[in-house]
Amino acid sequence: MLTKRKLVTVLSILLTITLALAACSAPENAQVNTNDQENGTVNLYTDRHYDTDQMLYDLFTSETGIKVNVVKGKSDELIERLEREGDATQADVLITADAGRLYKAMEKELLQPVDSQILTNNIPQNLRDENNNWFGLTVRARVLVYSEAKTNESELSSYEDLTDSKWKGKLLVRSSSNIYNQSLLASMIAINGEEKAREWAKGIVENFAREPKGNDRDQATAVVSGEGDIAIMNTYYIGKMLSSSNPEEVKVAQNISVFFPNQETTGTHINVSGIGLTKSAQNSQNAIKLMEFLASEEAQEIFAEANFEYPVHPDVQPAELLKSWGEFKTQDINLSLLGKYNKKATEIANEVGWK
Amino acid sequence: MKFLRVKHLNIWSVFSFLFVLGIILSNLLVFTSLLQPPSENWQHIKDYLLADYISNTLLLITFTGLFTFLIGTSLAWLISFYDFPLRNFYKWAFILPLAIPAYIGAYTYTGLLNYTGIIQSFLRNSFNFHVNPKLFDIMNIWGAVFIFTLFLLPYVYTIVSSFFQNQSASLFESARILGRKPLNILFTVLLPLARPAIIAGVSLVVLEVLNDYGLVQYFGIPTFSTAIFKSWFGMGDIDSAIRLAASLLIIVFFILALEKLLRGKRRVESSTAKIRSIPLHKLSGYKSMLAFTYSFFIFSLSFLIPLLQLFYWSLITYSNVLSNKFWQLLWNSIFVALVATCIIVFASVIIANFQRISGTKLSKTYSKITTFGYSIPGAVIAIGVMVLFINLDQKLFWFYKIVNPESAKLVLSMSIAMLIFAYVIRFLAIGFNSVQTGFEKVGKKFFEASRTLGMTTTKTFLRIDLPMLKPALVGGFVLVFVDVLKELPLTLILRPFNFDTLATKVYQYANDEMIPEAAVPSLIIIAVSLISIYFLNKITMKEER
Repeated sequence: MLTKRKLVTVLSILLTITLALAACSAPENAQVNTNDQENGTVNLYTDRHYDTDQMLYDLFTSETGIKVNVVKGKSDELIERLEREGDATQADVLITADAGRLYKAMEKELLQPVDSQILTNNIPQNLRDENNNWFGLTVRARVLVYSEAKTNESELSSYEDLTDSKWKGKLLVRSSSNIYNQSLLASMIAINGEEKAREWAKGIVENFAREPKGNDRDQATAVVSGEGDIAIMNTYYIGKMLSSSNPEEVKVAQNISVFFPNQETTGTHINVSGIGLTKSAQNSQNAIKLMEFLASEEAQEIFAEANFEYPVHPDVQPAELLKSWGEFKTQDINLSLLGKYNKKATEIANEVGWK
Repeated sequence: MKFLRVKHLNIWSVFSFLFVLGIILSNLLVFTSLLQPPSENWQHIKDYLLADYISNTLLLITFTGLFTFLIGTSLAWLISFYDFPLRNFYKWAFILPLAIPAYIGAYTYTGLLNYTGIIQSFLRNSFNFHVNPKLFDIMNIWGAVFIFTLFLLPYVYTIVSSFFQNQSASLFESARILGRKPLNILFTVLLPLARPAIIAGVSLVVLEVLNDYGLVQYFGIPTFSTAIFKSWFGMGDIDSAIRLAASLLIIVFFILALEKLLRGKRRVESSTAKIRSIPLHKLSGYKSMLAFTYSFFIFSLSFLIPLLQLFYWSLITYSNVLSNKFWQLLWNSIFVALVATCIIVFASVIIANFQRISGTKLSKTYSKITTFGYSIPGAVIAIGVMVLFINLDQKLFWFYKIVNPESAKLVLSMSIAMLIFAYVIRFLAIGFNSVQTGFEKVGKKFFEASRTLGMTTTKTFLRIDLPMLKPALVGGFVLVFVDVLKELPLTLILRPFNFDTLATKVYQYANDEMIPEAAVPSLIIIAVSLISIYFLNKITMKEER
């Protein structure tokens, strides 16, 4: 039975090699795991995929020598992962492109408050959690987009007005499974109450130009192509379309106009991309340094210029394009409410048939 | 036949047991919570959403199944029995769409057909012709059927055409000599004969559709796989996600049972009959033109057009996309695919050999469980594997402490091992099937002879079986490698820190509304797959000769 033993040896060696290879391949993991508590890394989970973000992390590394490790995923998946990993998680920082998701992470007790003069000074109160569990970094507004060839600006007024029968068959908006729409509906619940919000959602569905499909850019395109008249979309996509690699998309963006709804009443719906320190952060000093860096004037300017988002820092100017649209009144609610009413909003959307 | 009853504890049984245990554990942990009472979300899902999930999923699998059957079988029929212009080219060209994952096909066709895409803007800018955008709208359930059909077609085509060529050549000839008309032969002789092969191919297509996440997510079609993601992550409700997963598994079981029932006792034997080259019937006149045009049409839609579009986008965007980090992506993709594939082939050989030499009920159950992994959609496997690995880490913490006193609590579940493990569970069936077919082809004669002459099982395996298995091993290796390279949902959820693959990058660009930027990584996935398919083809050709 010598051969059998030999074979077992060969097999186990093979297996060990494979495992060892697998272990080595996990890039940087070995270093992340141990040794450098508080000496040179910060691990972050983010649902923002923009190449500009990586630029900012690189800048942070070159200024502080702290290495930034990034896991990208969808916000809900990252939160689920944080929850499963519990106090063993290696993530120090969570970034999501929606305040509601940060609230959800806070509800699940995955975040901890950060006491930082810099953060509280640089970020207005309504754009961060009241107990400083999370902080907004950039602002986007959910606006109406129309074509001047077909629609007169004076016909537009508010989100509520979109349920009027004059818009029947003319409204374009993406699926309610998208977080931006859930948060918009959540803000309606927060401001007008659940019943009014349900009626509103129902009215929106009745005025659909087509079944919800595609992303925000597709809604703007459908305005230009004539499938509908009014699209609901986020501001920064217009900037991104204008700088698109596809000349046809640039043309579309040049043919649409932006309208900030509810200026006379409750204000335009805004949302933030925000950041929070995880409860079990092992590199919390570095994490806070990163948070402060991202809220600094230097970083805020990059956010504003490269990604067409409104900076949260009051002293930093938005990009020229955004400035050209003028200033606007925003919804006056704490953004935590977007998270609080998220579940209700999803349910209402399902009930009224907003696909 | 006493020597076949191998003692129960040998390396084959032990290793087989370990692999099967992995599959069972990761799924069992998920289903334990099925026993708990449903959450309030479940009521909501049942009232407002479930009907949609079921009808969409059924529509997708029914029509994709139907169209892949019609087109795949007709192509296989044309190629196997008739000669027309470029027939030899099409023979392998129809395998090529296999290199294009359905989600990449979906992104490409969307970008091609939408308002800012090349067709509409050409008509608009050159002729000032504005088409009704609804005509070009592909982001709906029929568009999804269209995309699935185009890119899953090769599954039916390859299985059915190899069946036609290997099994029914003589019957076809006899029928023709006896004066039957071609269509008559097709319906009365070939189709009934090919039923097992057709059903095997269509079942694969249906399972692929059920597993898909990238396409239905992008088109916004509520199906079970998007619903599992949504209720698990969106509503934070694992319980409902598992219930949905269970409903999906019921559909999977139903399909597997249906496949068995429809196929009857027959198995698709790849080539037990003697292979004779079939004398092709030369088509002439309009028939030849028709066959050529039809083939060209399908080939263009399922390969040529998407590829040209991707090339065009790559030309515009490559300078933004290509960087040092990009080569890292390529390396990551190839590396995980290689490691996972090696493990899968290794495991396949062990389990298949165990089943062959022991022939017990236990070993048959093993092979059933192994095959089952492929029918479990990625979303379900991801849940199970993550739970399993976090549990494992907690159990192994004492050991980490010994190795490294400052060790973190989560080691395995933070490493790439988790992702590779999930790949193994998902794709083991593909490797296993190739290896098993290989074993069947080799048969037991040589094994038995060698054992009678006094060699041990292991020695026999190394000296006799392994060399004869080589083509099957390489074939299985290539198939698995391509599948891992294209895999999306598992990779999205289970990848570790700082880890992107080509597939996740494509997904990311597409979801950031930057489809042209997704072209370069897409093309590389396709290129690597194409090279692999080429090698596979070369091997099988050699074998046939």
